[in-house]
Amino acid sequence: MKVRRFLLRRLIFIVPLLIGIVFFTFMLVRIGGQDPVEMLAGPTATQAHIDLIERELGLDQPLLSQFLIYIGNVFTGNLGDSWISSQPVLDDILRRAPITLELLFWGVGLGALIGIPVGLRVAGRPDSWFDQCARVVSLFGFSIPTYWLGLVMLFVFFYLLGWAPPGIGRIGLVVIPPETITGSYLIDSLLTGDWEAAHSAFSHLVLPVMCIAIISAAPIIKHTRAIALEVYRGDAVRFARASGLPRWVVRRIVMRNSTVPVMTFVGTEITGLVGTTSLIEFVFAWGGLGQYGLNAIISGDFAAVQGYVLFLALFSVIVFLIIDLTVVIIEPRSSEAT
Amino acid sequence: MTTIDLPAGRSERRWPTLNRLVGVGRRSPTATVGFVIVVTFALMAIFAQYITPHDPVEAYPRNILNPPDAQFWLGTDGNGMDIFSRVIYGARYAFAIAVPAVLLSIVIGVPIGLWTGYRGGLFDEGLMRFFDALRVFPSIILALAVVAAAGPSVINVVIVIGLLDSPIFVRVVRAEVLALRSSTMVEAARAAGNPTWRILLVHLLPNAIQGAMAQTAVRAAWAVRISATLAFLGVGIQVPTPEWGVMIRQGAEYMVTGQWWVAIFPGIALVVMVLGLNMLGDGLQDLLNPRRKG
Amino acid sequence: MALLSVEDLETHFVSRNLDNEVLVAHALNGVSFAVDRGQVLGLVGETGAGKSLTAQSVMGLLRPPALRVGGKALFDGTDLFDLPTDTMNAMRGRDIALVVQNPRTSLDPLTRIGDQLVRIQRVHAQISAADARKRAIAMLDAVGIPEPMRRMRAWPHELSGGMAQRVLIAMALINDPKLLIADEPTTGLDVTVQAQILDLLRDLVIDRDMAAIIITHDLGVVAHYCDRVVVMFAGGIVEAGPVGAVFGQPCHPYTRALLAATPERLALGSGRRFGGPPPDLYNLPKGCHYRDRCSNATELCQQTPSFATVASDHDARCHYAASLKDQPL
Repeated sequence: MKVRRFLLRRLIFIVPLLIGIVFFTFMLVRIGGQDPVEMLAGPTATQAHIDLIERELGLDQPLLSQFLIYIGNVFTGNLGDSWISSQPVLDDILRRAPITLELLFWGVGLGALIGIPVGLRVAGRPDSWFDQCARVVSLFGFSIPTYWLGLVMLFVFFYLLGWAPPGIGRIGLVVIPPETITGSYLIDSLLTGDWEAAHSAFSHLVLPVMCIAIISAAPIIKHTRAIALEVYRGDAVRFARASGLPRWVVRRIVMRNSTVPVMTFVGTEITGLVGTTSLIEFVFAWGGLGQYGLNAIISGDFAAVQGYVLFLALFSVIVFLIIDLTVVIIEPRSSEAT
Repeated sequence: MTTIDLPAGRSERRWPTLNRLVGVGRRSPTATVGFVIVVTFALMAIFAQYITPHDPVEAYPRNILNPPDAQFWLGTDGNGMDIFSRVIYGARYAFAIAVPAVLLSIVIGVPIGLWTGYRGGLFDEGLMRFFDALRVFPSIILALAVVAAAGPSVINVVIVIGLLDSPIFVRVVRAEVLALRSSTMVEAARAAGNPTWRILLVHLLPNAIQGAMAQTAVRAAWAVRISATLAFLGVGIQVPTPEWGVMIRQGAEYMVTGQWWVAIFPGIALVVMVLGLNMLGDGLQDLLNPRRKG
Repeated sequence: MALLSVEDLETHFVSRNLDNEVLVAHALNGVSFAVDRGQVLGLVGETGAGKSLTAQSVMGLLRPPALRVGGKALFDGTDLFDLPTDTMNAMRGRDIALVVQNPRTSLDPLTRIGDQLVRIQRVHAQISAADARKRAIAMLDAVGIPEPMRRMRAWPHELSGGMAQRVLIAMALINDPKLLIADEPTTGLDVTVQAQILDLLRDLVIDRDMAAIIITHDLGVVAHYCDRVVVMFAGGIVEAGPVGAVFGQPCHPYTRALLAATPERLALGSGRRFGGPPPDLYNLPKGCHYRDRCSNATELCQQTPSFATVASDHDARCHYAASLKDQPL
């Protein structure tokens, strides 16, 4: 009951948000200096040829009607065609999304698995040497450019040590990819029992996932520490200590009371980490949605950019929704708040 | 235990400024290290032409991809340009982008934060929702899209970074103003018949600006990072400008063929500079906001 | 022998300012008092006088920058300050219990109150979950919570302030401590609820033959519920004795000023004394700390007064204690 009302109220806000976002990007790409017509037609095209292309793409219409046509198409599941790949944008996106999500999932998962325990741990002993170390490490994580970290990893683990495969794609060139079930090579090959493909997919995943984990652990450490520190200083822990609860019980109280804010934080971070993942895909030639989106933006592929942005927004909104929903379910106080 | 009760020595009284610096340094060693790093890079940027042994954009066609040696300390890149000189000159671009970008976001963000925080209402609400909506995008994607649309140039990169970062200052200042708006101090000022502009400038701004100042170094770190990322992606500053992101882009292909020095050294410079700014920022936030001190 | 006897307790706040100078706030300087079984001691004084700090020092709950630099706290003959941290931690909640202010935020918000009551028993004693549950229900009943069985399943945020304070008292008493410290147990509660809570506390203390320390700034609470009173000012004790004696014949000007400032007295129009800021703990004046606010300060007050015993068990730290004794307020 509580959950359904919450969901309904949320959905009412999401639709106008998405339309606003589509409008924003629609205007952004069209007002900008990039001219896809010129790019498609080439330098030697005649004016008549250019006009033809414009008409084909619907670019001769006024901006507002272009927008309305686009919105109408979006609701029927037509996101237009990419001018570069000549494929329907929706197909492009749906094929590539699982590839990126896999990377994001393992990367952020590993980052949280490192970051949250470390953050909780150092909050228990602020200003200890371990805390100082964690602080410096997390500052490093904040300061290392994603793509450079990827390059250094490739240099060390592929070129120098030869432990990792080259940073081209998601699976060895001579390995036959498993049939598509979820879209993740690792999971699909495990499901089909193709150990060779699984091994290759896994070894290709290691470096990019490590990069994302390192980059994402930094803010998670910092904020988990801040959140847990606040709980540690709160009345509840003061009273727990005054009641003589042993240290591990106090630690558990802190952990449980930090769960909701930490989860919310990680949820909001995921959006930003999509950017990180895109850069990692760029470096490792991963071929997922992130790389697709970056290329679309750089080369001014309007329909692809819009589709990508819409998908990003939808993804963020869904992530926020899932987080909030989990909070509503696990937090006893939330029935009062909503 | 009671010996900590030190009397103030003579030297402490004679050098109040120096002593205060020492005090700040002791309270926040990270900030001190960060400060030293940033100052070092600033000196590098200012005196680049005196430090560098070569012109940063002069190509030595016979010395392409030289490993580090006595003539080219950090080696040469694929065009035969001296990497050491290019790394030093890169500091200029870092500052030339970060400083104006942060100034721009302060100039935009602080007045808006003051005004919307004080006035509230529909405009405030709408603006906050707009900022919330922007949050669904990773900042790099947003920056990339806007720069790509605006056309790649240093000026555009500065403007875009300044614009995209101004919401941070709006939020910080607005939060501060919201907290102060109904305080007795402001009530009294209003009751005394002060005009709105005077309340904003004299009573609210000095209090709110402190929170904004604490953010500057961290935002500068972000600006350096994101401008380098844009350059790495080929949007923004272009080859052969001696900018760190551009240089990493140039060196990327050589990382898997063994000419590591092309991308490694500009990357190290970038990491250290951003780290310095972040450390300085971390310390600033601690010092200007005692509640955050761990 | 007294159950708890605090001797010469000294606690400082040590910090550095931006000019890198070490600053020491003498927050407690030589606090001594004792409580017996079956006795309720009131600790009164203005905000910042060091009442709560005394309790925290005794219980070993100080956090930096607060630092205990000297003194003893003999509990049943052993000095609490000599105990290893784990032993001290085990004593908290079992032998010495604390009831804090802010009951609603002090309960663990994500644990049902029944589970909290069970938890506090099981960390301190070998007891089965079922037995602990039975005792918890009985305890909730004893602190006057209706339908204790049902309340066991309540979340802390579902309780009113008064209810939460009762739960807190139940948690404090469930392990039958020998000493109960109540730090402003009724601030933020309705006046009627205040009285109920304090009645409950007093009855339970007498029933169980415990010792109790009530920290408050409310002289009415002291007069009604305490046997002895210790008056604190600027981190030190200025007057101590049986409540009747101290309130009947106050011998320190500060106690007299406090008593004169009660609403009843002010309504009567009896002489209002001048207040003033408390002395700077970073830079305590030599001599009597109350000197600057005292209307009858003299040359002699430049010297530190010692405790003067004005009657049996009634001491005041004032050069003129004896002469103040018989002056009417």
